[in-house]
Amino acid sequence: MTIPPPAIDPITLEVLWNRLIAVVNEQATALMRTSFTTVVRESGDLSAGVFDRRGNMIAQAVTGTPGHINSMATCIHHFLAVFPREGLRPGDVLITNDPHKTSGQLNDFTVITPIFGRDGRLVAFFGSTCHAIDIGGRGLGADARSIYEEGLFVPIMKWREAGEPNAALVAILRANVREPEQVLGDIHAQEAGNEVGGARLLEFLDEFGLEDLEGLSDEIIARSERAMRVAIAAVPDGVYTNAAYCDGFDKPLRLAVTITKAGDSVHVDWAGTDPESPRGINVVLNYTHAYVTYALKCALCPEVPNNEGSFRPVTVTAPPGSLLNAQPPAPVAGRHVIGHFLPGIIFGALARVIPDRVLAEGAANIWSTQLTGRRQEGGAPWTYVWFSCGGTGARPHSDGLHTTAFPSGVMGVQVESIESLTPVIVHRREITRDSGGAGRFRGGCGQEMEVSSRTDLPWNLGPVFDRTRIPAGGYSGGSAGGRGAIRIAAPDGPTRELVDKSQVALAPGERFTLQLPGGGGFHDPFTRDPAAVLDDVLDEIVSPEAARDRYGVVIDLSNAMVDEVATAALRAKNGR
Amino acid sequence: MGERERDARPLRVGIDIGGTFTDLIAFDERTGALSIGKVLTTPEVPAAGVEIGLAETLSNAGEGPDAIGGIIHGTTLVTNALIERKGATTALLTTKGFRDAVEIRREGRYDLYDLSLEMPSPLAPRRRRLEVDERILADGSILTPLDLAGIPALVARLRAVGAEAVAISLLHAYRNPEHERALGAAVAEAAPELVISLSSEVVAEMHEYERTSTTLANVYVRPLVERYLRELEERLRAGGMGASPLLVMLSSGGTATVETARRFPIRLIESGPAAGALAAAHYGALIGRPNLLSFDMGGTTAKACLIDGGEPIVAADFEVARVYRFKRGSGLPVRVPVIEMIEIGAGGGSIARVDSLGLLKVGPDSAGAEPGPACYGRGGTLPTVTDADLLLGYLDPHFFLGGRMALDGAAAAAAIAPLAAQLGLDPIAAAWGIHQVVNENMAGAARIHAVERGTDSRGRALFAFGGAGPVHAYRVAEILRAPELIVPLGAGVTSALGFLVAPLAFDFVRSYPAPLADLDWDRADGLLMEMAAEGLATLARAGIPAAAITVRRSAELRYRGQGHEVAVPLPDGPLSADSLPSLEEAFAGVYRRLYGRVAEGVPLEAVSWRVVVSGPRPSLDLRAPAGGVTDATLAIKGERPIYLPERGEFVTVPIYDRYALAPGATFAGPAIVEERESTAIIGGGTIRIDEYRNLIVAMPGASDK
Repeated sequence: MTIPPPAIDPITLEVLWNRLIAVVNEQATALMRTSFTTVVRESGDLSAGVFDRRGNMIAQAVTGTPGHINSMATCIHHFLAVFPREGLRPGDVLITNDPHKTSGQLNDFTVITPIFGRDGRLVAFFGSTCHAIDIGGRGLGADARSIYEEGLFVPIMKWREAGEPNAALVAILRANVREPEQVLGDIHAQEAGNEVGGARLLEFLDEFGLEDLEGLSDEIIARSERAMRVAIAAVPDGVYTNAAYCDGFDKPLRLAVTITKAGDSVHVDWAGTDPESPRGINVVLNYTHAYVTYALKCALCPEVPNNEGSFRPVTVTAPPGSLLNAQPPAPVAGRHVIGHFLPGIIFGALARVIPDRVLAEGAANIWSTQLTGRRQEGGAPWTYVWFSCGGTGARPHSDGLHTTAFPSGVMGVQVESIESLTPVIVHRREITRDSGGAGRFRGGCGQEMEVSSRTDLPWNLGPVFDRTRIPAGGYSGGSAGGRGAIRIAAPDGPTRELVDKSQVALAPGERFTLQLPGGGGFHDPFTRDPAAVLDDVLDEIVSPEAARDRYGVVIDLSNAMVDEVATAALRAKNGR
Repeated sequence: MGERERDARPLRVGIDIGGTFTDLIAFDERTGALSIGKVLTTPEVPAAGVEIGLAETLSNAGEGPDAIGGIIHGTTLVTNALIERKGATTALLTTKGFRDAVEIRREGRYDLYDLSLEMPSPLAPRRRRLEVDERILADGSILTPLDLAGIPALVARLRAVGAEAVAISLLHAYRNPEHERALGAAVAEAAPELVISLSSEVVAEMHEYERTSTTLANVYVRPLVERYLRELEERLRAGGMGASPLLVMLSSGGTATVETARRFPIRLIESGPAAGALAAAHYGALIGRPNLLSFDMGGTTAKACLIDGGEPIVAADFEVARVYRFKRGSGLPVRVPVIEMIEIGAGGGSIARVDSLGLLKVGPDSAGAEPGPACYGRGGTLPTVTDADLLLGYLDPHFFLGGRMALDGAAAAAAIAPLAAQLGLDPIAAAWGIHQVVNENMAGAARIHAVERGTDSRGRALFAFGGAGPVHAYRVAEILRAPELIVPLGAGVTSALGFLVAPLAFDFVRSYPAPLADLDWDRADGLLMEMAAEGLATLARAGIPAAAITVRRSAELRYRGQGHEVAVPLPDGPLSADSLPSLEEAFAGVYRRLYGRVAEGVPLEAVSWRVVVSGPRPSLDLRAPAGGVTDATLAIKGERPIYLPERGEFVTVPIYDRYALAPGATFAGPAIVEERESTAIIGGGTIRIDEYRNLIVAMPGASDK
């Protein structure tokens, strides 16, 4: 490719760019190390980045999750509309959890710290978004019928003014959330991260004799935009559509996309998507936008930095009042369960033109399990949330990954952590056999977790789960993965399966089992290498019956070998 | 050792078995002289190479085998076995319902955008992960007793899957090891041929993924390491060196007896690089520079390590055998004490390319040793750091490895030309770009390493070694604003020297999480004493008198609810509730240094308790070899043009013969200083040779920055 003459030579630019990435990584490291919750430090449910003084996001830490990263990128303009640059002073810290202006649910706090140079001039902003363990209301779940039920709404405000904490806001927050120490502690961690980032940035500017970030920002953003446009231009022009169903709150809902690719830009429209749900699974446009730009970047140019520039060639629309462009006061707490479907739907549309660069459908959404209850001794309330992951879709040239988040960037929590922090017991946690969709490349498997309480008090499950009705589809002849399910069993009693996302009151002796979905397969399973099928059978990832029926491979279990003759016959009978 | 014994057996020998070479260094206690040996590693029977190398080193020293008073030994055997997956057929015994903890991992991706990333496969595949009916809870209480009746069937299955080694890792065993011990004993009794490791012995810490992964890695390499150590002992005995105590270097910077190394071979994992850091610390102490940044650059990677107050910092975990583009997160996690250093994919073989933004990137892809950089003339065509260094005049095409290998300048130029065209630069500007970008990468990594330790890389002297270290060190020092650059004599074998200064030591850790306010101080005290006693006994068995043993204790503390701990040193003597204020104060001090603030009013909790028991640090009274001249002009052996960025052109500078420069010689940069295994490129400043023949560069303008 040809490169126009740069304003800064490419080598100096690389040096500066590298240094800036190091600065935001330090910001994120400090945040995670000072965090008070496993959601942030183990699951990595956060984003951290630096903006120039005009509010353009330039760089972000190599951590976090797209729903935070890309939605944070646009939020700063909202902050500046409320608190214009000129009025900001050193020691000010801004905050909000406005879902429409940031990442789509009240549980996410975005904290912005303006950074001032030695001469007192504003030079940059550091920002981060973290998932708060609680925000009051019903507790994290999809139950609410309006946002007012979902918890405390903090409009864009000052968290600190010239270094002094906003005592009123602290008191209100403390009085409204279930775990005030953890919630306030994580805001403290966000401030610490921003502060560390700011200090390093000033050293960086000093060292290179830069007054501000504008020159560097313009250059990086321009180059990112150019690279993104080059990657887009390489895809044939056309209109690509796809539609899929998710579970919805209690009935399946349709998500439909039309991707119009013309020249070096892309327009993604979600017309044809079902209207808003009356319950809390609605997605704000900001969040829709985040997962669209994320999916396009993964498929087209994973190596281009994620910033204002790489967003510019992409426009996103969704009908107002639809599931993907919810309007206040629609409830939104469980928006990720729908938002996580979007990359898969976009990949499905693009699979027609660039089949070699997409994944088959995967489990898509991470499952968030919110538990609340009371401690046996003293009856103090406790609440805890963890995420768990099903399988990813198979790749065009390799198997999908078991129990791995995609598209979310968060991580799960280990059982020893869960049991140390809560009065629950996880009785088993294992990979689910035959849950990976069959294909020449197999989808990743899901997992099962069986959970009970140690107390003899009632407890509560807030399930934000999906793909319990419609499994992840395979591509290019691959089969669907296993569907998800949530089962509740009374001691020696009947087992019931949850059919919607309502909160569930659990009796003391009841156990629930999460069965997470698997990913879809890629290409015809009857063309899978029989040796790979044998390995899966020996590892009990695939049953001998599934090997025969789905892959056309007959396993001689007594000798742990493929029965070559029977396999050839079976595959020939099926014309392959 | 006593003086008489020292005189009878004056040689202490350090042996570093690397992937390609086995380096040996012998130190004579009487004269302070060093003798060096370097032989090819014999991967099939590593002990064979050691035997040959020892013969060579002894002959260089003019001594016989009976002159050896001690051998300290480090090896990449463990790392290589894990990278190449050449360990034992390993099985896992774990709590019913949890055999997939090592496959489920933490469920995350280490790269958000790359759809083709790969995860490390567990050392025990699912078919060899067997479950035991038992369950212990987070508080140590027993929910389900261990099913002893099922053990014969379990052993039969272990045999059926061909297991040679067995890791036993049960849920919450860090809190209550009872079931692991009982199960281990029962399996050992029923199947004495199996090698067994318990997670509660290898790493008694919370988090089933990392604990199990570490235990698996430990037992996976155990048969290999046991066999190897046995062979080594036999060969040493046969060679008349059986009486010399044999010690093994650990990744923590201590050494251990062969007996300890056999039980916990995973502790040997990064012993070579650890020794390099120890050598840097030793030189630093010797010349009054206790705070250093050590910088070791080889063919494929560079490592930086912070030395504070004469001691490298020890971290609690490490990631081995990365499977995807050297990326953090793509390897197997192991929880072992390891000298903390940052390693990045930047070495002489690192390949330069232009990315989609039109920016120049260097590494982590490497041309390796085969085909190697284009200038090696072995078929490599991609531009590497070594090619750039050659074009810039930093390497002499006729004196590479002391002249043992000729470099092809035309091939280097041909490799760089297309890259330069892509960047719109002339080839020299592109070559300088490669040199500069790789230096920036290394300096950037070092800076983050420092920040993660809550300190600053600036103001520290840079101590450079490794094959490519001295070529790049001056510019790295410049970027880091180091006031001084130190290049030791014999920079190629510096790591092996580190073995000779490592004390006999072992690290212990026990989890006992509790709020400090209602801590059972007697229990904490008991744990600490138990660990110290175990350490003292281990060292006593190795012949260290009690009076010479140091016990250092620390607690890992955090604010209640946090997930990352801060290590706070504990005072000597028994702990009690009275210790609380001083612990709180110490914690606040460390925390503020790391994060710039403290969380007022949030109570503290302890997570785990650590003890390091170490013997005396061996002295190494280095004395420089005699000879050479103090008038540096007499040591000039030629001149050649090198690219100097501050002038924007090639400037002809003198080449000094490192071996001819005597202590006291001083001269000014720019200059080239050549020795057999490495070349130092000094862009400016003033250079002096100190009494140990180190090259000490006072960086220009260092004092006014």
